Amino acid sequence: MFLLSICQWIDSTRFNAVMRQSNWAFPTLDTIHTLGIVLVAGAIMLVDFRLLGLGLRSVPLAQLVARMVPATLAGFALMLASGGLLFSSEAVKMYHSPAFRIKVLLLALAGMNALIFHRTIYRDVANWDPGAVVPIRARLAGLLSLIFWIGIIAAGRAIAYGPGYDLG
Amino acid sequence: MTALPLFEALQHTYVGETIRHSAALIALLEIVHLVGLTLLLGTILMVDLTLLGRGIGNLPVSRIARELNAFTGIGLVIMLLSGPLILSSEAVRCYKTPAFWVKMALLAIALVFHFSIHRKVAQAEPPVPRARAERVAWVSLALWFGVALAGKGIAIFQPS
Repeated sequence: MFLLSICQWIDSTRFNAVMRQSNWAFPTLDTIHTLGIVLVAGAIMLVDFRLLGLGLRSVPLAQLVARMVPATLAGFALMLASGGLLFSSEAVKMYHSPAFRIKVLLLALAGMNALIFHRTIYRDVANWDPGAVVPIRARLAGLLSLIFWIGIIAAGRAIAYGPGYDLG
Repeated sequence: MTALPLFEALQHTYVGETIRHSAALIALLEIVHLVGLTLLLGTILMVDLTLLGRGIGNLPVSRIARELNAFTGIGLVIMLLSGPLILSSEAVRCYKTPAFWVKMALLAIALVFHFSIHRKVAQAEPPVPRARAERVAWVSLALWFGVALAGKGIAIFQPS
């Protein structure tokens, strides 16, 4: 298997050995990753709530999105960096972890959902916001995003309970 | 006199024993706890950023704070329900882990601060002077990040 051999190679690198020998590298990266995902998902969920009409109703959507998108992208870059380092410290274990696969899948779905939303219905946001009702397609995007991100948090946490981990 | 017997009793309750012996339940509770944290930290961060002059457009902080209040509350309730359940599954270990006590102390301070000074400043109309708003925002961020970091610390630092 191609992917498996890549993971095996990652596990054989010097970087991987350094990560494993350090008592601090993994917990530090793990803490950054956990706090970061909470903030990124928190920002995204606020937009989702707004789309679903659950909150921030008096805030113009375009202003909210303009504020959130750069912050979310920056936070996400941090997530990817810390997540990549965590992954490379135990690549083969991740390859065999069902929770990790689900997480990657959910991340892809969340990304596609956001991309489609921005490329389609959000393009003419000026025509429907502020308005009495958020269009169904925008509400659907908000609902899906909410589900995907809660799923990403859940799957991320579940990785630590997967095969090969000590429940301590 | 220590509180250790209390923690031992908590761990030996039916709920504590049940959760302790179910990896799935522990995982589920931790996920719920994290989702609650997402709501709590996400909304508080937003209010604090607005206090720091980095909010949404030119919207006043009082409006943002009012709109987000309910979500902060929901996040807090989720955490305060799931937290003690997680605690009951490993009460004795928590008792012996300094990070747990640091977290509880910071949490108590953060809660008092949040529902007194922070709330008053965030909802003030007209807004308080910028310098005071910024001070309050930094204290709030430091306290809540401290709570979250200490929480992570409970998992990382095992009692010696």
